[in-house]
Amino acid sequence: MALINFTGIEAGNWTVLAEDEQPTEGAKVAASVTRIADESEEFFAAVGELGAVVSTETAYADLAPLLNKLSFVAIEFPAFTDGRGFSLAVRLRKDLGFKGEIRAVGPVMPDQAMHLMRSGFDTVDVADERKEAFEACAARFKQFYQSDYRGAVSIAHARHSSDESRKAS
Amino acid sequence: MYAYDQFDHAMVASRNAEFRDQVERRLKGELTEDEFKPLRLMNGLYLQLHAYMLRAAIPYGTLSADQMRRLAHIARRYDKGYGHFTTRQNVQFNWPKLSDTPDILDELAEVEMHAIQTSGNCIRNVTTDQFAGATADEVADPRPYAELLRQWSTFHPEFSFLPRKFKIAITGASADRAAVKWHDIGLVLKQNDAGEVGFEVSVGGGMGRTPVIGKVIRDFLPEKDLLSYMEAILRVYNENGRRDNKYKARIKILVEAMGADEYARQTEAEWDRIKDAPIDVPEEEAARIKAFFAPPPLEVLEETNASVDEFASKNFLFASWLNNNTNKHKVPGYVNVTISLKPHGGIAGDATAEQMELVAALADAYSQSEIRVSHEQNLILPHVPVKDLATIWADLDEAGLGTANVGLITDMIVCPGLDYCALANARSIPIGQAISNRFDDMKRIQDIGPLKIKMSGCINACGHHHAGHIGILGVDRKGEESYQILLGGSGAEDASKGTILGPGFDEHGIVDAVEKVVAVYLGEREEGEEFLGTYRRIGAQPFKEALYGTH
Ligand code: SF4
Repeated sequence: MALINFTGIEAGNWTVLAEDEQPTEGAKVAASVTRIADESEEFFAAVGELGAVVSTETAYADLAPLLNKLSFVAIEFPAFTDGRGFSLAVRLRKDLGFKGEIRAVGPVMPDQAMHLMRSGFDTVDVADERKEAFEACAARFKQFYQSDYRGAVSIAHARHSSDESRKAS
Repeated sequence: MYAYDQFDHAMVASRNAEFRDQVERRLKGELTEDEFKPLRLMNGLYLQLHAYMLRAAIPYGTLSADQMRRLAHIARRYDKGYGHFTTRQNVQFNWPKLSDTPDILDELAEVEMHAIQTSGNCIRNVTTDQFAGATADEVADPRPYAELLRQWSTFHPEFSFLPRKFKIAITGASADRAAVKWHDIGLVLKQNDAGEVGFEVSVGGGMGRTPVIGKVIRDFLPEKDLLSYMEAILRVYNENGRRDNKYKARIKILVEAMGADEYARQTEAEWDRIKDAPIDVPEEEAARIKAFFAPPPLEVLEETNASVDEFASKNFLFASWLNNNTNKHKVPGYVNVTISLKPHGGIAGDATAEQMELVAALADAYSQSEIRVSHEQNLILPHVPVKDLATIWADLDEAGLGTANVGLITDMIVCPGLDYCALANARSIPIGQAISNRFDDMKRIQDIGPLKIKMSGCINACGHHHAGHIGILGVDRKGEESYQILLGGSGAEDASKGTILGPGFDEHGIVDAVEKVVAVYLGEREEGEEFLGTYRRIGAQPFKEALYGTH
């Protein structure tokens, strides 16, 4: 697998804990939301950095109480057509103010690179042979019609911006 | 009309480069058909029964004469010399070669057209009133808002992989010619007591196997808040719409399950949080877009013209055409001309390259180089001086475009059906032709009066059969094509759902059945009563008796 990094964030290298597996002291680990919700203070004290692996089924509100314990979130797409992952990332940024890494995992397509990036994903795990296609897709479009929750402004705003650099496309 | 600036050009050019690359990878075998499918669908390229089909967007049904000429050129060079105008105000080419499609998209881009989001589970081409900006009964021109929606929905980062396709329609007129209540979102422009312009917003309308009429969730949305409100509606849908069953994935199912009040509550709650984010465009941008749609400078002319009247008095077909195919313009002395793409015995919505070129030439000469496509699959020349009507009709008639049947029984909506469509249960086109041949007497069909027949070749309802005064639905009955008849639907401001009358008929029986339904109406109607009025007054029973002999 290759990791595509859209934002230049310092990408995490974590292991996903098996069901009964206990983290080693200071380890960088990821676990499911239900497990994290059930864990004790000792667990949180033991881990170095903690992330959640969430499915696209997850309601963002369920993540709210856990967020101060999380350094990263991996959103698992069961299929590339499951667009809930995009809204979930938007919610994490927009409504929960999450600043940590958001990673896409699962069968997303190169042609979704821009959607991922613009919905608030930092990174995506892709098959090695798709790396090039992903990078090409991520670089193809320079500007978009929508403002996004990363702070990029829409073409509609750029058209009337006094900042000339925005107008050059 | 809207004109692209460098941003719009760059967007389409990048997309076309991407698509060319995808097609090359497919042709070289680097992409399998399974992988290619979602990519081509995002550019309007379908694989039909016999060939690829390319659907190009005609945003809100507005075309320039130059764009129409380009469509003619594409039809001639890359297809079999014709194109098909659709109920989504788009155009389809039925026979392109896969290897040609990137060139076709480049040809379209040169005239500021594209095929973006004409298929796939995304926000589709926004449709509107074909007389927008040219009709007397309008609060405001809906096209600037449709263009705002076009831009906002193009490659939306969050809403390009929705549970299902998503259709928005908007109208500015009191008569609903855009069937807004049958759309996922329907927008009706209105003025509030303070004279401000805004929208009545409805959600959850749709056809398909579960026909539902949309429910109003907001009486008045200020125009400046349009996009943020759309975002709130779409977010609620994207998060909560069903994804386990594609037949239950449209927003109508979610709205029914949640209740319209709850849908409204969640939308409003989300909108409250985002309405100050930079989603809606700055005022200058709204003004920039509106300026493209400024009314053309038309000098007021005489409402009637002696030579036109004289010709009409001598020519029954022209007189009929004046009656049926022209509609009142907001400026005295002008009309909007509807060119029927339903010649008797012909294929609804098809136009040859030569016909497209003629329409383009007429548009240059008489309608400010503007053309519209209606969801009823006709072409419109807006802003036409009354004094030129006789000349225009003569030119149209010579090219097989002079049929005077707009709004009448033979002005049918007919989906492509089994002749093209891989999903079809039954043929639609030949049935449409047979009905049209049966009712090809202009005197008779004018006596029958306004009557809309809408036909679909399967339950997906692309032919809007639920909304037909008479709807026809092709079904498969033990391997045979069978046609059910529905009565009482309407796609207008009095939207209603048609009811299935009884068992289906074979391809000959259905034509006779339509004739019997018409006969019952003619026998039962009261003075001045149209078909739908009679049906609503007397109900289904007399029609059932005529068709099935049940008592
Ligand atoms: S209604 Fe059915 S047959 Fe007709 S075009 Fe749609 S999917 Fe095809």
